[in-house]
Amino acid sequence: MSVRQPSGIFAPGVIEEIQRKAATGLYQIRGYGTLRERRWATFDDLTFLPCTLTRIPLEGYREKCNTKVRLGTRFARKPVALDIPVMITGMSWGALSYHAKVALAKGAATVGSSNTTGDGGMLMAEREHSRSLIYEVLPSRYGINVHHMRMADAIELTIGQGAKLGTGGLLLGSKVSDRIAEQRDLPIGVDQRSPARHPDFLGPDDMIIKVEELREATDGEVPIFIKVGASRVFDDVKLAAKAGADVVVVDGMEGGTGASPAILQEHTGVPTLAAVCEARAALEDIGLYGEVQLIIAGGIRDGVDAAKAIALGADAVYIGTAALIALNCNKPIYEEDYAAIGAAPHACHHCHTGRCPVGITTQDEDLMRRLEIDEGAERVANLLRAMTLEIQMLARACGKSDVRHLEPEDMAALTLEASAICNLPLVGARKVFGR
Amino acid sequence: MTIDCRGKQIREINRGIRAGLASGEVEVLNPDARHNLAVALLQPGAVRIRGSVGYYCGGLMDGATVHIEGSAGWGLAESMLSGMVTVRRNAGNGAAAAIRGGTVVIHGNAASRLGVSMKGGLIVVGGNCDYMAGFMGQKGVMIICGDAGEAFADSMYSTVCYVGGRIADLGNDAVIEPMSDDDVALVESSLRTHLGEAVRATKPAAHAFRKVVAGKKLWNFSHRDWKTWQEAL
Ligand SMILES: Cc1cc2nc3c(=O)[nH]c(=O)nc-3n(C[C@H](O)[C@H](O)[C@H](O)COP(=O)(O)O)c2cc1C
Ligand code: SF4
Repeated sequence: MSVRQPSGIFAPGVIEEIQRKAATGLYQIRGYGTLRERRWATFDDLTFLPCTLTRIPLEGYREKCNTKVRLGTRFARKPVALDIPVMITGMSWGALSYHAKVALAKGAATVGSSNTTGDGGMLMAEREHSRSLIYEVLPSRYGINVHHMRMADAIELTIGQGAKLGTGGLLLGSKVSDRIAEQRDLPIGVDQRSPARHPDFLGPDDMIIKVEELREATDGEVPIFIKVGASRVFDDVKLAAKAGADVVVVDGMEGGTGASPAILQEHTGVPTLAAVCEARAALEDIGLYGEVQLIIAGGIRDGVDAAKAIALGADAVYIGTAALIALNCNKPIYEEDYAAIGAAPHACHHCHTGRCPVGITTQDEDLMRRLEIDEGAERVANLLRAMTLEIQMLARACGKSDVRHLEPEDMAALTLEASAICNLPLVGARKVFGR
Repeated sequence: MTIDCRGKQIREINRGIRAGLASGEVEVLNPDARHNLAVALLQPGAVRIRGSVGYYCGGLMDGATVHIEGSAGWGLAESMLSGMVTVRRNAGNGAAAAIRGGTVVIHGNAASRLGVSMKGGLIVVGGNCDYMAGFMGQKGVMIICGDAGEAFADSMYSTVCYVGGRIADLGNDAVIEPMSDDDVALVESSLRTHLGEAVRATKPAAHAFRKVVAGKKLWNFSHRDWKTWQEAL
């Protein structure tokens, strides 16, 4: 063994982290989501089985393949009707700049999709430019406003997020600008921590009353979504459905964040692939699969991930990080500014610093201006268009005239783990392992 | 206008209350501790509830006045923007949670987590409050005439609390500050206005109240205060 061989246990990154802790006495907080090399089963461990002799494919472009989706058909009088099954997830004004929020709203609206507020309340400009706006009600209740709630097309009661399971929001002082402080009723420049629990209910039983209250406040018109981070997914999805959710959102371990303790991103929760499978099984178990819609989030990168999530049982997917990347996150421009915050293009996860080199996760006016709203919106719209085309391509190749007709049977597993998790046959073996 | 809750769905009761507000005062009979009574009232007008209510009474409100003649369950007036909610007897956990404005008056006692995450407004309690009142309070004023429970005013931002009785124990980063003349005047006028002269006279003198605010040690992450952080997180 070479005399220069580094330890596999105390690898260079581990040494760096121990010495950082020794110097500061603090745990690490950062943005972006897990950085771990994924050694768990992911959507990449599945492959589609398009039509050959046993099935007839649809012609690309000519034969219709529906992408429209309706969310909230269980109780709401006005379900959310979207043209495509890829939606923009909740990211707060505060974590994101004003420019980023408006660009996301405009981009989503252009292609008939939705966007979501976040842990800081609603921005008027966001409402104006949205086609369908989902209003989040979070434990912190920052910016909570019943009038805004009543302007929304759906309410999302958020219990948790994949990137920070069991904890509340974080927004470091550099992002608590005067405008954000005013919106959230906080002192300027504090390192804002939010509560982990809702202030006025404790568990699944009184959440039923909360859901009823939200319906009362919105005259029973719009759907109530319940968002959970993927932990005990099978139980949580059932409890959310029992509480009266029209739609359940499950955010997997790979979910992104603006700022969260690093260890929570790396070492808590259930990966997105497994989360979809558990969520579907849960809804089937209580006979509500199809009646309660399912949205999956967490590390969705493209139409392939989305199509696989849909085939496994999701009605739609949320994207966060991918949409930010469309807005130029991690793009090799302004490289000296990446270096200034200790990052580099393609390896930036420094949203927590508030010094985003491309103007997305910042409240600094100069940095923010680097993100031109209309150009950004067009790129977001393009990403959503391309993802939709990818989903349709896979659906047509599998002979489906509606993307939501994709089903588990259209896929096989490439690994034993994926076979066991998804209850899909392993390629070549023609049998499901682990059952 | 009078609404009898018996035999009615909550939606129907609330619709009636909203319609009644337009014409002035609404009287609600037989509330039977039902949940979600008088939520999301968005216009001025008064509601008098003749009995006790369940969760979220007066929640998500902007502008109305709700008088509850009995006791209230959890989340009284939660997230209120403006208006007033009064409770003749006691209130359950999380009363006035996340309010951004308006006034909540509890003539009896408040259970735990009174005013949790409050973002504005005024809370007046004639009796005592249980543990963790004021937790993560962001703005607004809380006045407790009686005793405060454990972990009082824990991890606050800018809420200001006044306590007339004993404080079982201060929460993380909660500190006692001397009462200024303005503080004394604020407590006095709030008690007179919201409890009435006769009842006010039975409560401690304004200068005898203690003022509790955030010590600001948790406002920014700092390794110097890791002991405080260890308990706060
Ligand atoms: C910058 C940023 C800010 C976020 N802010 C919120 C928020 O305010 N509320 C919330 O429920 N989730 C928030 N999330 C989590 C997302 O809603 C979503 O669950 C997650 O990003 C999905 O994973 P993905 O980014 O891999 O697509 C945020 C994520 C990011 C990247
Ligand atoms: S480029 Fe901006 S949005 Fe992207 S990871 Fe870096 S700081 Fe976050």
